[in-house]
Amino acid sequence: MEQVKLLIVGAGAAGLSAAMSAWDAGCRDILIADRSSIPGGVLPRCIHAGFGLTAFGEELCGPEYAERLLAGLVSTGVRLSLGTEVLSVSRGKTALLSCRGCVSLLHFEHLILASGCREKGIGALPVAGTRPAGIFTAGQAQEMINLRHQDLGGEVLILGSGDLGMIIARRFVLEGKHVIAVLEQADTFGGMARNYRRCIEAYQIPLRCRMTVGKIHGQGRISGVTAVHLDSGEQEFIACDTLVTALGLISERTLVQGLESSPWLSLAGNCSRVYDMVDSAVSQAQHIGREVGASLL
Amino acid sequence: MFSERRYDIVVIGAGLLGCFAARNLRRWKVSVALIEEREDVCTGISRANTAIIYSGYDHKPGTLKAKMTVQANARMDQLCRELDVPFSRCGSLMVSYGEKADAILKQKLHSGIQNGVPGLRLLSGPEAEQMEPALAHGVRSALYAPTAGTLNPWALGIAAFENACQNSADAFLKTTVLDISAVCGDYCVKTDRGNFLCRAVVNCAGLASDRVQKLLFPSPVSLSINAGDYLILDKTSRPMPRYILQYEPEEDDKGISVVPTVEGSLLVGPSERDGRPDYATDTEGLSFVRRQLRELLPDLRVDSVIRSFAAARPNPQRPDGSSIGSFVIEHPAHAFWSLIGIKTPGLTCADELGLYLAEKIAAELDADENTAFAPRRNGIPGVRGLEFAQRKELVQKNADYGEILCPCEEVTKAEVLEAIRRGACTVDAVKRRVGTGMGRCQGARCQQKIIAILSQELGIPESAVTKDGKGTEILYHGAS
Ligand SMILES: Cc1cc2nc3c(=O)[nH]c(=O)nc-3n(C[C@H](O)[C@H](O)[C@H](O)COP(=O)(O)OP(=O)(O)OC[C@H]3O[C@@H](n4cnc5c(N)ncnc54)[C@H](O)[C@@H]3O)c2cc1C
Ligand SMILES: Cc1cc2nc3c(=O)[nH]c(=O)nc-3n(C[C@H](O)[C@H](O)[C@H](O)COP(=O)(O)OP(=O)(O)OC[C@H]3O[C@@H](n4cnc5c(N)ncnc54)[C@H](O)[C@@H]3O)c2cc1C
Repeated sequence: MEQVKLLIVGAGAAGLSAAMSAWDAGCRDILIADRSSIPGGVLPRCIHAGFGLTAFGEELCGPEYAERLLAGLVSTGVRLSLGTEVLSVSRGKTALLSCRGCVSLLHFEHLILASGCREKGIGALPVAGTRPAGIFTAGQAQEMINLRHQDLGGEVLILGSGDLGMIIARRFVLEGKHVIAVLEQADTFGGMARNYRRCIEAYQIPLRCRMTVGKIHGQGRISGVTAVHLDSGEQEFIACDTLVTALGLISERTLVQGLESSPWLSLAGNCSRVYDMVDSAVSQAQHIGREVGASLL
Repeated sequence: MFSERRYDIVVIGAGLLGCFAARNLRRWKVSVALIEEREDVCTGISRANTAIIYSGYDHKPGTLKAKMTVQANARMDQLCRELDVPFSRCGSLMVSYGEKADAILKQKLHSGIQNGVPGLRLLSGPEAEQMEPALAHGVRSALYAPTAGTLNPWALGIAAFENACQNSADAFLKTTVLDISAVCGDYCVKTDRGNFLCRAVVNCAGLASDRVQKLLFPSPVSLSINAGDYLILDKTSRPMPRYILQYEPEEDDKGISVVPTVEGSLLVGPSERDGRPDYATDTEGLSFVRRQLRELLPDLRVDSVIRSFAAARPNPQRPDGSSIGSFVIEHPAHAFWSLIGIKTPGLTCADELGLYLAEKIAAELDADENTAFAPRRNGIPGVRGLEFAQRKELVQKNADYGEILCPCEEVTKAEVLEAIRRGACTVDAVKRRVGTGMGRCQGARCQQKIIAILSQELGIPESAVTKDGKGTEILYHGAS
């Protein structure tokens, strides 16, 4: 069986930063595995500006931020295995890796999980009605529009006003689409004030608070939703051909379910908790990387 | 576009029952056409149900339904081996928390014994709570049926379909039956893609089966459709029950079932309410299911719900509106058979019902046995749950077995390509064959990749790829 001192699952901002810090702390045997064929995690599809004010003292877009992290790793001996899914991890410190043409078992001394988040989908809500085409999660929409250059809809309704919801709303406007509204169940927008100003206010997108979606209509493609006013209970039909859900992120730790308290395991970045700012995720990951790197000497 | 084809037998509707009818008819030397309106099989009632292989204590002793269910249950391991479909004989517990439910359980035990259901036992409350610690405390009694089990209904239907086609039944998808007439002792089934002349007709049109019979004969039975809602909880939910649980509440409400599926997720439902056959869920129906689930399994976290869906229930009625409890098998004329609104346990009995019809029709047509009939079908090999060595062997033979497309359900590119090779042409058809998008992210991570592969393999633009047939294009077409 192959051996590695430090295995890092995820080549997002957290995984790349943890690797860099562990290397700097003296660990010379590090492998990062990521299922995606491009490194950077969510960064490559975040083509908007707003990253790195704290870490680099200037405002970068996601892909630029990822490039900086990768540039730092070039002169190191950290190995990066892309297109590689880590399928399972066992108590005996063995990971099962799978990529095109190859599956392997890998024994590690320490594991840093840097697997990021997954998005909550519409299925998690008690929303009634049909399940037609034309419903996307915000992250999925971001990937399809920004990386695959696909056309997702014309009359778009967004559910949820976290950072993801507000950023994707602006994205649709910039693509020449009509964003009918962003619906939010709370009293005010959920994300950062900066994103509200830059995405919602600046593009005059209607933000409608204390509202949610109760029912989805449409047999083939979505034709509209029954929106519910949470205070009055009143219902309102809103026609749309696309619904984008930005319902929040859940830290992705399924890989280590049941193993969370193992001494050989550390969590870095968004899989430990959801960070709004990449700089904070990175600084936590660097701390973990340093500690783990030093402990493996 | 007019064409006329000739077959011994035309089967209308490729749900579970039509697919199994076609499969079993090929045990005789007869030519079979299977006609289905949709672009894939098992998209109707067969897609949305409770997925239980019943043990057979629910039905009135002496009825065909009771006999068939017990027999079908006993043969299920063999059938699933033949068709290479995963089956979990996990057993079921019907749970009571009070006097009224208690009496119902006793009565079911009694009919179960008369029906010959093996291993049935009435457990005390503490016994049941020990067997299934996730249950809410205060269980009064529980009826344990060790032979009950679960499988994926559309996996079974698709397997029967593939096996029917292997045995030279001809499938005509995207073909709608419009009319049926009698011509010189034969039948002429008129569709939007030409006429089919045949000697026998088997009507398995599910929700439309009463209307299809009425195309040529009167139907003493009509269907009134109502609906039910279900929830699916992620496989990481805890505590995950071991048994199929059937809740028998004290109130007049019908109780839900909780099924630990072969995929590892938890299926919960259904509610029973008015509704149209549009498979739309209902707010009240969903909260009814959530409420009963909380009553039965209070420690289970309902925030692990990943999907809800609705079922359409065909309820056979006589002209006076009274409902019919037994299977409605209509035989209005020589060599014309209708299965009208077969509800529970139609999944359990699909193969038995198919064989039953096939025997009758073979006798009517005086057909010879087909000794070349091959009952075995191979499923699409998957990597999930494989030992390392087996996995490695697969990847060495085919590099695509290393490429994971759907991380939640661990489905590889090789499996997706094979599903498409076997006829899947929509995102949902791929899902029904290999499970992509059935997990906790519900396709948010794999759908884009499946679209790209479908586009490439079928030679169509990505914008023409659909979720589940015409009108469900996933990408946008402007103001079309
Ligand atoms: C839409 C959006 C907008 C944002 N905007 C800003 C902003 O303007 N400014 C800012 O500072 N921050 C922003 N953030 C936050 C910031 O981007 C994140 O906090 C940070 O990038 C998270 O990095 P991560 O490495 O923890 O996770 P991710 O970037 O999600 O990386 C996780 C990686 O792990 C891989 N992975 C997971 N499981 C496995 C497995 N089993 N096998 C192999 N690989 C696996 C995934 O493929 C992924 O590449 C935004 C985030 C989002 C989602
Ligand atoms: C809510 C619910 C829960 C159930 N739970 C269970 C269970 O747990 N266990 C169990 O054993 N059984 C269960 N059943 C029963 C089982 O699901 C059904 O008996 C079975 O799926 C019926 O299949 P079918 O082939 O008759 O119908 P369908 O799957 O609906 O197939 C009929 C097909 O006919 C096609 N069609 C209709 N009209 C035409 C036309 N004019 N031309 C061409 N094609 C046409 C339709 O497109 C459709 O594909 C349940 C049923 C319901 C409703």
